[in-house]
Amino acid sequence: MSPMGMELPRLRSGARLAPWVPLLALPLALAGWELIVREARVPVYLVPAPSRILATLWAERGLYLQATGVTLGEAAAGLALGMGVSLALAIATAFWPPLERAIMPLVLLLKAIPLVAIAPILTIWFGFGPLPKVLMTALLTFYPALVPLMTGLRAVDPAALELLRAWDASEWEIFVHLRWPSARPYAFAALKTAIPLALIGAVVAEWTGASGGLGRAMWLAQTNLDMPRLFAAALILAAVSLAGYTGAALLERRARWWNPEEARL
Amino acid sequence: MLGIRMERVHHTFPAPSGRWVIFEDLNLEVRPGSFTVIVGPSGCGKSTLLRLAAGLLTPTAGRIRIGDLSPAQARAARRIGWMGQQPALLPWRTVEGNIRLALEVNGRALRPPLTVEELIAMVGLKGFERAYPRMLSGGMQQRVALARTLAAGPAVWLMDEPFAALDALTRAQLLEEVERLWRAFGATVLWVTHDLHEAVRLGDEVVVLAGRPARIRARIPLPDPRPRTDERRIGEWVERVRAALMGGAG
Repeated sequence: MSPMGMELPRLRSGARLAPWVPLLALPLALAGWELIVREARVPVYLVPAPSRILATLWAERGLYLQATGVTLGEAAAGLALGMGVSLALAIATAFWPPLERAIMPLVLLLKAIPLVAIAPILTIWFGFGPLPKVLMTALLTFYPALVPLMTGLRAVDPAALELLRAWDASEWEIFVHLRWPSARPYAFAALKTAIPLALIGAVVAEWTGASGGLGRAMWLAQTNLDMPRLFAAALILAAVSLAGYTGAALLERRARWWNPEEARL
Repeated sequence: MLGIRMERVHHTFPAPSGRWVIFEDLNLEVRPGSFTVIVGPSGCGKSTLLRLAAGLLTPTAGRIRIGDLSPAQARAARRIGWMGQQPALLPWRTVEGNIRLALEVNGRALRPPLTVEELIAMVGLKGFERAYPRMLSGGMQQRVALARTLAAGPAVWLMDEPFAALDALTRAQLLEEVERLWRAFGATVLWVTHDLHEAVRLGDEVVVLAGRPARIRARIPLPDPRPRTDERRIGEWVERVRAALMGGAG
């Protein structure tokens, strides 16, 4: 007998594209955009050319850097709050399952309220500072994090659970040795979903009234019909969101290191 | 050594139409240090019987004793070793870590008879201490599960078709090892299987369970000396158990 796992066939879901194909797609799309805007003479107050957007971005890099810092700070704080609360609730329901029935109606109600409608209320209540943005972000990320966390803490191998019970393991031991390690990949999957939402939450809240941040910059640009500035801010948001998502996806894969088939996304 | 005694055990499960009676007035006694094999058609309640003995289920009525203890007490005192059809290894723990888990969980008062290193050597996994379950074959994973079952030195082994998912050759090897380990540990074994060949090779006694509610249809003592390698002799016993299973007197 030998450690056969080393030679396990690597399963792939579908054929894989050569790595340069997606790298080529973005420049091609941008070139097409540039070409169409120039040839059709699209007015800059409708759609600016990518070159114009990048030039704006570069010219006002200090401003954008500062706005990005503000938004990122709010988004991170809100994400931490939203994930923290959902993690605490998920753990609580793992120890005491009836709690789920008690909290779910409230949670669903919170989810059903359109958060775009809440944003102005939060601003009225808490002013133009960071607090309403943090709360908004927490509200937006709370639910998408809660469900996978609750699922993960419950999705344990029933045979392993039975074994631990046969040893008369306490609920705490079951949590430490089985539930939490099983839920870890779910936690990172939740983070992956929540990161882009956190940025949306912060920006939407800034849009309804703020003294800084990317949302504020976008609102200002929009009221002035300054499309290059608006697009520049949107571009930064997209890039940050993508970077955060990719980071979380990598963490999620690492959390599943012991299962190479699952780890390959 | 602890025996197992079941007295007038009655067990039902909720069913769409009232209750589903699994056992009605079941009596079973397993001698301390004996190897008792339970056979029966699938769905007759073999696994339920084992879960009742382990205290994972509480009988609707009746009394179960592991030595002088209730199943719950025996479980709390870590006197029960449990092994199922699935190895149920934690994929994020190494071979060594999985075996050690049996000592970490509810293990304050344990005085393990062997070290983890000795256990690993006993089940033939020396050199694989740091391997993760996914690197191991099904047979090797069950060896880890076996070592984990024995780690805390339980007096009673409750084994629910532990090798049913393995190929014949691996199974034959592991059965030989189980027999050797059982003698070394002097444990009381209650072993569920649907493989009659396995039953007559291992058992001091084969208990034939059948019917609904399940009754003990026959108890067949197997006096042949061990290790039982005479295939002709094993074949004869298999026929006897099969006859009992089909409705004869055994």
